[in-house]
Amino acid sequence: MKKINRLLKFGFPWEYLREGAVELFKKAGYEVEIDELSYRIEIDDPEIECITSKVEELAPLVEKGIIDIGITEKAFILDSKAKVIELADLNYGYKIWKSAKIVLAVPENSKIKSVKDLEGKKIATWVPKIAEDYLRKHKVKAEIEFTNLPAEPKCPILVDGVIEFVNTGRALRRFRLKIIDVLMETSPWLIANEQSFQDRWKREKIENLAILLKGARLAQEYAGLMLHASNEMMEEVLKVLPTLKKPTVTQLRGENWFDVLTVANKKEIRDIIPKLKKIGCTDIIEFPLNKVVI
Amino acid sequence: MTEEKLKIGIPKGSLQEYTLKIFKSAGFDINVPEREYLLKIDDPEIDCFLLRPQEIPRYIEKGKLDLGISGDDWILETKAKIVEVCDLKYAKRKIKKVRWVLAVPEDSKIKSVKDLQGKTISTEAVNLVKDYLRKNRVKAKVEFSWGTTEVKPPRFADAIVDITETEATLKAHNLKILDTILVSSTKLITNRKAWQDKWKKEKIKDLALLLQGAVKGEEVVNLMMHIPGRKLKRILKALPGLKSPTIKKITGENWYDVTTSCKERATRELIPKLKRMGCEGIVEWPAVKLVP
Repeated sequence: MKKINRLLKFGFPWEYLREGAVELFKKAGYEVEIDELSYRIEIDDPEIECITSKVEELAPLVEKGIIDIGITEKAFILDSKAKVIELADLNYGYKIWKSAKIVLAVPENSKIKSVKDLEGKKIATWVPKIAEDYLRKHKVKAEIEFTNLPAEPKCPILVDGVIEFVNTGRALRRFRLKIIDVLMETSPWLIANEQSFQDRWKREKIENLAILLKGARLAQEYAGLMLHASNEMMEEVLKVLPTLKKPTVTQLRGENWFDVLTVANKKEIRDIIPKLKKIGCTDIIEFPLNKVVI
Repeated sequence: MTEEKLKIGIPKGSLQEYTLKIFKSAGFDINVPEREYLLKIDDPEIDCFLLRPQEIPRYIEKGKLDLGISGDDWILETKAKIVEVCDLKYAKRKIKKVRWVLAVPEDSKIKSVKDLQGKTISTEAVNLVKDYLRKNRVKAKVEFSWGTTEVKPPRFADAIVDITETEATLKAHNLKILDTILVSSTKLITNRKAWQDKWKKEKIKDLALLLQGAVKGEEVVNLMMHIPGRKLKRILKALPGLKSPTIKKITGENWYDVTTSCKERATRELIPKLKRMGCEGIVEWPAVKLVP
C-alpha cells in the first residue's frame, strides 16, 4: 500500500526575524540549513517543508492556507487583517530580546504636537492599514504613503511624520525625530491557518511544534542553578529561589548538607546568587538550558 | 620529571572546526594562531600540529606524530600502517557522511564502472581508485588531480572520483553519480610504537575516552520534570532513558521529580508527549560528555 506522506508547511520570515527563528528551531532540536543564494531553508524533519517569505507577506499566506504555520510580526498580522490562529507570542526582537513598538514620530522641531495636528499632512509608513485605522480613530484626515524601506530618512524632506517600528530608538535619534504617540507593541508571533487546525494530524504537529518553540524561547530567559546548602540554610534558600519549578533537593551522603537543583530567570539570578552566597551556600553552579516547558 | 610529550595531528580543512569543538567539549582549549601549524593547547604534555588530513596517516606511520584524527579515505589512500584507536563518528546531520563517488558528465556514454575500460579518471585519491578498478577488473588511466576535480570532465578526463557531501557541486557541473566507492568516517589513529609505550598508551586511552564522550555528548541532552504520582508509572514507560531515570518524591506532595538523559533528536517527540501526559516543569539542558 502506498503511504501518504503528510507534510506541514512552515513559513520562515526571511528578513530580520530569520536569525531569531532559526535559533529557536536549533534549540528546539532541529538541524537548520540556510541557502542564502536561493532563499531556501531546510530542516531535518521530512514532515516539515520550510517556505521562506517576506515578513509582511506571511500572514496572508497563512490565511490562504498556502502555509500551515509560520512566524511573523504581530503588526503585520493586524496590517494585513489576515484571519489566522495566533498560537504564541515568541516575543523576540531584532538583535535584542525585547519587543518593538509602532510609534508616530515627527521631527524634533516640528509644530505637530499630537495626532490631531496631522490634519492635511503626509506620513510615511510600512503599515498603512494600521496607520489608516489610527487616523480614522482620531478623526484625522492625512495622506498615507506606503514604504517598505525605513521611513525615517524621508522625514521631513518628503513627509511630515512617520508611523514606524521602534526597537532601540537609534534610527529615530539619528534622523532627529521624536515620538509623539505609541500605537501598539509588536513582537514575532507563531500563527497557524484555521483549516490546518481542523486536520487532526496537522493540528497535533502544529501543537507539538508550538510546545517546542515556546520551550526553546523560554529557555533563553532561564538558566539552571545547582548549589549545596546545609539543613539549617534550607528554609532561607527555598525562600530565595523562584517558584517556577519546585527545586529538586537531594541529601548528600552521610552529611547534613543538601544538593539543590532548580531553574531561574537569568535576570533574577543576578540577585539570587549573591543572596545564596550570603546565606552560606557553596558550589553554586549556573548552566544553560535548551528548553523549558512549564 | 618526564619531558615526554604526545604529538597530535589535527586535520586542517573540513574536519577542523568539528575536531576543535570536540576537543573543547573533552576539556581541552586549543588556540589556532593565524598562519601557524603548531597549535596552542592547554595541556603541557601535548603538542598539537595543524596538518592536511592527507598527511596525518603518513606522519603517524613514520612516528613523526603519535596520534591524529583523519578519515578512512586518507588512511586507505596512503596505505599507512597505523593503529586505529577509535571511531569519532558524528551523528548530527550537519557533518554529513563523506562519500567518494564515481561521476561522469550527464550526457556521457559511460553508464557503469565497466565502461571505464581505457578511459581517463581524474582524482585526488589515486590509490583508492586503482584499488576500485582492480576490484572491478577494469583497466583505465588514473590521473592525480590537485583539486577542483569536478571541472575536469569532459575535456581533461572522462570521469572523476571525488568527495561529495551534498552533491551540489557535482550537479552544478552537470555530473551524475554512477557509484559510491567509499563512505568515509573519522578515526582517531596512532602507531604501534606509541601504542607500546606505557605512558603514551595511557595518555591516548584517556584522551580517546574523553573525545568519544564528547562526541556522544553532542547527541545527548538531560531532562528533568515533575510528574504527578498517579501518572508516574504510565509516564515512565514513555521515557527512553539511556540509563534508568532518577526518581525522587517531592516532600509532602504526591509529585515526583524525575531526571533522565536522552538523545536530543528524541526530544521533539518526547517533550510534547510528556506535556500532554501531564508532566510539568519540563527542563532540558545540554550534555557535554557522555561516558557510558
